[in-house]
Amino acid sequence: MASAAVITRPIAPEQASLWSDAWRRLRRNRLALVSAVYLVLLVAVALVALVHTPYSYRDVGVARPYSGPSGANWFGADILGRDVLSRLMVGAQISLIVGVGTQILVLAVGVPIGLLSGYYRGLFDTVVAFIINVFYGIPDLLVAMILLLLLGPSLNNIIIAIVATRWMDMARLVRGQTLALREREFIEAARSSGAKPAKILFGHILPNSLGPIIVQATFGVPAAILFEAFLSFLGIGVQPPTPSWGSMAADGLAAIRIAPHMVIFPSIALSLTLMAFNFLGDGLRDALDPRQKR
Amino acid sequence: MPAPILQVKDLHTEFLTDGGVVKAVDGVSFDLYPGESIGIVGESGSGKSITALSILRLVPDPGRVVGGKVLFQDKDLLQISGEEIREIRGRDIAMIFQDPQSSLNPVLRTGFQIDEAMLAHDKATKKEAHVRTIELLRRVRIPAPEARVKDFPHQLSGGMRQRAMIAMGLANAPSILIADEPTTALDVTVQAQILELLGDLNRDLGTAIVMITHNMGVVAGLCTRVLVMYAGEIVEQGPVEQIFENPQHPYTWSLLRSIPRVDALRHERLRSIEGLAPDLLHPPTGCRFHPRCPFRIEKCYTDEPRLQEVAPGQQAACWVTMDRARKEMDADNLVDIRPGAGSGLHKGEITE
Amino acid sequence: MLTRGTLIYIGQRLVIIVFTVLVVSSIVFLGIHRLPGDALFNEHLHGTQYALILHHYGLDKPLWDQYTSFLSGLLLHGNLGESLVNRGVPITPLVLREFTVSAEVGLFALVFTIGLGMLLGVVAAIRQNTWVDYLLTTTSVIGYSMPSFVIATFLLLVFAVWLDNLTQGTFYFQIGWTGRFGTIGEIWLPAFALGFPYASIVARLTRASMLEVIRQDYIRTARAKGLRETVIMVRHALRNALIPVITILGPLVIGIITGGVIIENIFGIPGLGKEFATSILNRDYNIVIGVFTAYAAMIGVANLGVDLAYVVIDPRIRY
Repeated sequence: MASAAVITRPIAPEQASLWSDAWRRLRRNRLALVSAVYLVLLVAVALVALVHTPYSYRDVGVARPYSGPSGANWFGADILGRDVLSRLMVGAQISLIVGVGTQILVLAVGVPIGLLSGYYRGLFDTVVAFIINVFYGIPDLLVAMILLLLLGPSLNNIIIAIVATRWMDMARLVRGQTLALREREFIEAARSSGAKPAKILFGHILPNSLGPIIVQATFGVPAAILFEAFLSFLGIGVQPPTPSWGSMAADGLAAIRIAPHMVIFPSIALSLTLMAFNFLGDGLRDALDPRQKR
Repeated sequence: MPAPILQVKDLHTEFLTDGGVVKAVDGVSFDLYPGESIGIVGESGSGKSITALSILRLVPDPGRVVGGKVLFQDKDLLQISGEEIREIRGRDIAMIFQDPQSSLNPVLRTGFQIDEAMLAHDKATKKEAHVRTIELLRRVRIPAPEARVKDFPHQLSGGMRQRAMIAMGLANAPSILIADEPTTALDVTVQAQILELLGDLNRDLGTAIVMITHNMGVVAGLCTRVLVMYAGEIVEQGPVEQIFENPQHPYTWSLLRSIPRVDALRHERLRSIEGLAPDLLHPPTGCRFHPRCPFRIEKCYTDEPRLQEVAPGQQAACWVTMDRARKEMDADNLVDIRPGAGSGLHKGEITE
Repeated sequence: MLTRGTLIYIGQRLVIIVFTVLVVSSIVFLGIHRLPGDALFNEHLHGTQYALILHHYGLDKPLWDQYTSFLSGLLLHGNLGESLVNRGVPITPLVLREFTVSAEVGLFALVFTIGLGMLLGVVAAIRQNTWVDYLLTTTSVIGYSMPSFVIATFLLLVFAVWLDNLTQGTFYFQIGWTGRFGTIGEIWLPAFALGFPYASIVARLTRASMLEVIRQDYIRTARAKGLRETVIMVRHALRNALIPVITILGPLVIGIITGGVIIENIFGIPGLGKEFATSILNRDYNIVIGVFTAYAAMIGVANLGVDLAYVVIDPRIRY
């Protein structure tokens, strides 16, 4: 009978095969692969821009103001005659720093809070759950704008403002995972064999929640990039002369009749990057959790 | 004998699945006479519900009726236009379903869902429909129908919901009511009430009833004739008393043995039919019941039996039949009814 | 629908909304006012002049006194104070006027989002796995990946610039806002840009929800009754499919409010969003507080509206 085959010994899900299965599924997702290739190229461009750009991003008058794409300036020039391509390359650095930087901080803040509140419950959990619910109903962009007003606009403060409005999503996810996992047999077994809470949290619960955490962080990157672009578009983000795709689009919008290239190129760069991260996130979600199909 | 009101001829319904074609209904034929009440019995997956749905062309995707005829009022229901079959649904042939909880729309008032059945066929104005709905609810013995029409389905009990479904089915005084396992989801006491109600309606209104069920007991209480289905085919049919007294197909015989009996000893285990229902993607060769049949003979493995007269008005599709099994294989005293137990033929079986 | 229980529920919710608005505006007030007179630094005022202006706004008083007078003004008179940049301009009427403008654009966008999103979702569900379905699902992926200001920019390029050039000025979209309220001609493009990303989300959700619903037993019952297919889809399927769609109405309203900040700036619409961004740039703290208070109230009321929509759509839910 089938019941005889039920495994009575507690066993942790097979980690190795989970990841190799996920990798196999991800490789078959063409859209996610193309996105990953695009993102690798984008990182390469951002790295190259550290040492070399066609012109300096802040050099004024390297071409006639508003002049369109040409052999010397592939993507044309802006209102002050600065090279759009060079500024886009530096803008890629800003976007990636904001996108990846915020998610690292979100992980650093959200994961421990989620683990602790889910594992220990009690007063701490009640407070965390309350804060999460309060923030959930407030538009994060508006809160971030007020934070920037208080802190003053700078790249660091933008990252702080985004993390301050975004850590709850991660905390909520990890808390939910922890709540679900702490009741499972293999955690029970670890606990009864005398494992310390830190060992259980970081040795068992965290590795088993890694899939959803990775997916959430991947979706967090484009959200943060978009956030920065929004803020810079409104003029309260990255301050001139440092270029951001958002502020470049805002400058371009002002000149939309005479120099449409100024708004088109940063918009395309931003859209492609957001789409690539979203498709990669979709691919990762399908690969890591095949049951939860769209 | 009057002319049949509904004739199903060689009906074939298939499901196109990833694994291949499933022949859910494979050559089913039967006649239904005016005012008659027949039962179609079988396990889940035998094709009985799909047969019922095929009559009104309600088979869900990816199912398709691929062959046969359903003759009603000189028309083949499988050939007429979508608008014509829509007119017949609910007006001439009504259908009620297994689970009244999920079969009623949760966001519409119960009364309105009954009104709708009349309004769809322009049988009544809104006002008339409303009055008649209350009348119908009273007829299916729902207390305080004036108040109940305003209730949403979740405010009614399971039995009341099924009564409301029956009222909906009767709204246009159809000549045929198809009931697909109408009592399965209900409590035993409520089951009996619903069956009694259906019996009364059949007698008083002359509505012909096609009762789809897996429960032989339900058939005994309500129907005059019974069709037994197995793996998409009819394996036995005939008058109810005759089939109960003297089943000729081993499958019918084992179904009847599996009815729990009040007089049975408390500790006697409910006998169930041995083996699994057949895989319709790869149906067995020969007689489809042979892998589970205690009385199978060599011929059953290779040749498919056709329905043939085994007694007046009773047909069975079996090479052996129970008469022979009783005589030659001592069927009446057989306790162990594992495949091949009676005939001693274990070919192709893994014996323990 | 409006039972006594529901009315009591609405009353309780309104009390909570007022309380939340007070808490939110207090937090913003106290947060911002730790730097007294910061906005006035730009004006390079000195000595008595500076002290006079500080006194005018009550900024010379202790923070606690400032806060109590702010709170009593807000509670008793609905008074949000006076602009720091445009001296003498009271904020409450300003915010109220701008609210109607934002609400007009937002409601248009909302109607457009829900209408178009649901229409596309239903069509994709009914024509599942046909080219219509594939086209719609692909477009919606692009829709929700594109930030609204990029969509707005491209719409402006097409309708304000290229169309203008193409028709030599006879037909084009005029950016800007001339009257007290926007005309249809002024509003359709910003409403489209604002709603499009969310329309994609609504379409995806409606499609999934419709596909779920049309497999339900009660749809089979409706067919067995002999109802017409359009009646089945609209009356029986769509109403049930709406229930999960309502869950995203809350985030949707917040998204439209947030997106409005950008869209109003791009299209030069004098609403709350434009005021918010401008006053943050100008460091006009009093207006920032006022606009944020208005936002908190809007969101509270919108969420209440969503909860009431559930009651209308799903009779199983009662408060």
